[in-house]
Amino acid sequence: MKIKYGLISCDSHAQLHKDTWTSRMSKAKFGDKIPQLRETTDKEHMIRASDKPVERWFVHGKVVGERGTVNCPTVMGDPLRKTFPQRWEEVPALVYDPAERLKALDSDGVDGEVLFPNDPVQSGTFFQGDAEFELACVQAYNDGLAEWREFSDRYIPLAIIPYLSGIEAAAEETRRAVKKGHRGILMVAEPSMVRKGLKHFNDPWWDPLWATCQDLGVPIHWHAGAGIALRVPRWKGFTPNQGQAMGPAGGFANQAQFVPNLIFSGVLDRYPKLRWVCAETGIGWVSYMLESCDHEWERRHLWTQGFVTRPSELFKRQISMNFWYERAGIELRHSIGMDNIMWESDFPHSTSTFPESRQFVERCLKGVPEAERNQLCYGNALRTYGLN
Amino acid sequence: MELKYGFISADDHVQEHPEVWTQRMSKAKWGDRIPRVERQSDGSERWVVDGKPVDLGGVAIAGAAMPDRAREPQRWEEVPAVAFKPGERLTAMDVDGVDYSVLYPSVAGRAGETFASLADADLEVACVQAYNDWLIDEWASVSPRFIPQCIIPLAPEAAAKEIRRAVAKGHRGVVMPSVPMMLREVPHINEPVYDAIWAACQELDVPLCFHAGATREIQFPPYAGFSPEVAATMEAITRPVSSVLVVANFLYSRILERFPKLKVVFAETSLAWCAYELELADHQFERQRLHTEGYDILPSALFKRQCHMVGWYDTTGLKTREHTGVKNLLWSTNFPQATSTWPESRQAIARCFDGVPENERRQVLVDNAARIYNLK
Repeated sequence: MKIKYGLISCDSHAQLHKDTWTSRMSKAKFGDKIPQLRETTDKEHMIRASDKPVERWFVHGKVVGERGTVNCPTVMGDPLRKTFPQRWEEVPALVYDPAERLKALDSDGVDGEVLFPNDPVQSGTFFQGDAEFELACVQAYNDGLAEWREFSDRYIPLAIIPYLSGIEAAAEETRRAVKKGHRGILMVAEPSMVRKGLKHFNDPWWDPLWATCQDLGVPIHWHAGAGIALRVPRWKGFTPNQGQAMGPAGGFANQAQFVPNLIFSGVLDRYPKLRWVCAETGIGWVSYMLESCDHEWERRHLWTQGFVTRPSELFKRQISMNFWYERAGIELRHSIGMDNIMWESDFPHSTSTFPESRQFVERCLKGVPEAERNQLCYGNALRTYGLN
Repeated sequence: MELKYGFISADDHVQEHPEVWTQRMSKAKWGDRIPRVERQSDGSERWVVDGKPVDLGGVAIAGAAMPDRAREPQRWEEVPAVAFKPGERLTAMDVDGVDYSVLYPSVAGRAGETFASLADADLEVACVQAYNDWLIDEWASVSPRFIPQCIIPLAPEAAAKEIRRAVAKGHRGVVMPSVPMMLREVPHINEPVYDAIWAACQELDVPLCFHAGATREIQFPPYAGFSPEVAATMEAITRPVSSVLVVANFLYSRILERFPKLKVVFAETSLAWCAYELELADHQFERQRLHTEGYDILPSALFKRQCHMVGWYDTTGLKTREHTGVKNLLWSTNFPQATSTWPESRQAIARCFDGVPENERRQVLVDNAARIYNLK
């Protein structure tokens, strides 16, 4: 792809059009269960109760997302970032229309963006119904998003996968999606914690999927907590914004615990060319993970347990992390690994740097030599996603 | 304060011996509910409290002093004396170049959480008081180089009362599990009902210490297919960073705003994620426009005013000290846990403090702990 601004966001969220599923899934087979927007006056479906009817996503008849119709508070013209659209007509087109969205990218000085899901996709899953329903929802999503890449190569789409139809179906959907233009897949980090009956991440049952991604050269992504919900109970005294303020801390706290599991799982040894990306977790904590894994590995002589490669070396070989606002992590970039860091804007979520991404980048990368800066801002992304 | 080596270790653990509670609690009143060591059918021994086993990975936490660090003692006779005998411990401190040692429990919970999950509040208070009495009787009375810290029952008024009693006996810090509401049915830690505890600590000028590991529920569980050694490794890696969730809540909780002179220590956190946590908290504060919601101080400024973290092996914490504040950092040996740098803490310090000016080094290794614990 062409680099004009020198910035690729490796974590942005594509809102698919409201008709994505209704236009692609069989009405005869799935009826009202198809993911769709519906009007509701039920105050249980609203975080901020209102007397006006609102629109909410319903997946398999279950409401998804009580904050609003679409998660895009950054583009609602509210300087306090408290506003979520409550009806589809309130959603700015630059969130879901690929042509309009390119203008937003230009205004923010962003060349391209790696696309993660938005509403009504939860952690990249459709677990509301059975296996057949899940597969149909997943395929409709992947087909809808693939059209963005047909529209412009500035979009770098990530596919989601089915979990309930067996490992071969997951591998097959990955192959199908990559053929259509997807450049990676998004997963929950530890499937058995998210859905009863699924195999643990460390179980070799997943190997065919790892093999498929390695063969296709596409990375596997975890986003924020990636479905792991280790958390301190939220205090009821917090406002919605105060609650949201703590969200990303959960993301990094969870991945800082899960990535060491990846390192000690044996998967990196079995698939040494497979790439893993953690999005929306920041990088300043990665030194903790590398130092703690190395420290315990040394203290406990874990090479006697079959772990011959130093944990931090495995990380540097195969895992990438994204940053968006921080300074300390950038100061530590050489110990984390210059090849392992990419930039993200998280557009259009509330933590996003949009529309001030350039200023954020200037602040984060002050004093970083240009070659290194280019590597972090787009070079690593071009390599990771095979865009050269 | 007398310094021979120039190092106050701000986080070490005593190992309670088998008679700590049986000697101090009424057999007539509590019977077999008293914490004690019990032989298992496979010959190994475990601590049992109120009929439930205490998960220590063995009968003690002493990996650093074991022949194989990855293996905790399974029978009391295997427990090294440095873990539970204060005289031997002083020698272990001399070996490792430690002047003073701040003491956290083991059987009572690394974070003081063991008795918090008891349903019977009277039993909880009796167990807590026995620990607090024992630590003064058998450790603090032996040497001023031990800095004893009390544990507390969860009920706020009872806790405040115990803090006053314990501090009067010589305790210099208060160990409280950071997530009481995850241990039993009690209010969220942010609720003002706990103000009695914060007020007591502030008034007595003793630090409130939240040690990592108060609940496994915020730690990623080790894969069932891992060997015990690898599972213990994962546990040691996930425990410090699980405190991220605790710190994030605490910085927005308004407790520090209500008690501006309260001193807080987050122990066994490592220092390596501290700078990132503060940058994230400030970024989110700004992105969520929390200045419009009654907060008049940035989370990082609150942290610098009142909070501290404890490192023991990471080099990152010193590199990022400008972000966290030098006066907010403490150092430890974490003896006798398997993760401890003992008996090579001097080398660990040399490696981690490489390039740090002498005055800043002294701040982290001595002055900050001396200030927090009022060592004169």
